[in-house]
Amino acid sequence: MAINPMEQFAVKPIVPLHIGHYDVSFTNQSLWMCIVVGAVSLFMALAVRQRSVVPGRVQSMAEISYEFVATMIGTAAGEDGLVFFPFVFTLFMFVLFSNFLGLLPGAYTVTSQICVTFGLAAFVIAMVIVTGFIKHGIGFLKLFVPHAPWYILWLLVPIEFISFATRPISLSVRLFANMLAGHTLLKVFASFVILLGGAGGVLSLLSVAPFFLIVAITALELLVAALQAYVFAILTCIYLNEALHLHGHH
Amino acid sequence: MTAPKREDLQSLGERLDAAEKRNQVPRPSPAASTMGIAFRFTTELVSALLVGGGIGYGIDWAFDRWTHVHTRPWGMIAMFVLGAAAGILNVIRAANEINAEMAKKDGD
Repeated sequence: MAINPMEQFAVKPIVPLHIGHYDVSFTNQSLWMCIVVGAVSLFMALAVRQRSVVPGRVQSMAEISYEFVATMIGTAAGEDGLVFFPFVFTLFMFVLFSNFLGLLPGAYTVTSQICVTFGLAAFVIAMVIVTGFIKHGIGFLKLFVPHAPWYILWLLVPIEFISFATRPISLSVRLFANMLAGHTLLKVFASFVILLGGAGGVLSLLSVAPFFLIVAITALELLVAALQAYVFAILTCIYLNEALHLHGHH
Repeated sequence: MTAPKREDLQSLGERLDAAEKRNQVPRPSPAASTMGIAFRFTTELVSALLVGGGIGYGIDWAFDRWTHVHTRPWGMIAMFVLGAAAGILNVIRAANEINAEMAKKDGD
């Protein structure tokens, strides 16, 4: 029996659709993106339905996430960064829900695809660049010029530029690689359980070991899911902070 | 139901604060996750190398395509080295950010 741990990441079209030469099929990926957006909307809508002074469970969950993101922006990007609250909050909730929903058995993890995470990261960096140029005009380019004597500046400016160009890649690869690695690991251990269980004799008894390991790894994956959503959001705030205040690292 | 009195609410708030203080569990700070830190550093370093090498490759390709100057492979080599420098810079910055975050957490 062959169990392919990478099969879970396959993108399969549900409704095939072609426009010109482009394949724009509605895939399992699109379906799960819709589910994630629907789940976030439903959660927030349910949470604010009652609007009680003493919040219930769902309402306090929504309030905690609101305050969590608001505090994060306030500390990482300053008070004037709060205009980006809707953007960062949407980003955070989308990544968080994708990561969590992906952990359900049989679910598809949207954030395990580099094209999705890179799309998000590229949008963040585009936002940073546009904000920087609106706020500082051409002076935004000073971001690439550290305080240094002129005779090493010619070397430092390209380094700063590469360092900036790295951001969308490191931001997207981190999220995607974490999700990919975690889900592959789960699948590999799950296949151990089945293979050992089917082997018969003493080996069947041994299959209990990877089973308990899966339980432990699932707990770890819950932590990783929340952590990566947090890291994605806080780095967005840090980059926005640089665009707003330019003092980044001098 | 009668409206809650101001003093009632105040004493409720005080009791809640006290209860919160008693049951305070030290939450694992996100930055303290060692694997997270390791992952952050690795991606910063590797992606800088990739971007540097990619830009260098692009420069060589452009010179080959549009001029008669043959820079290959020197553009890629030079930019790869700069990429390594940028990667180390990224890691140092990431470490500084994490340090600052932890110092802030300890100060609380």
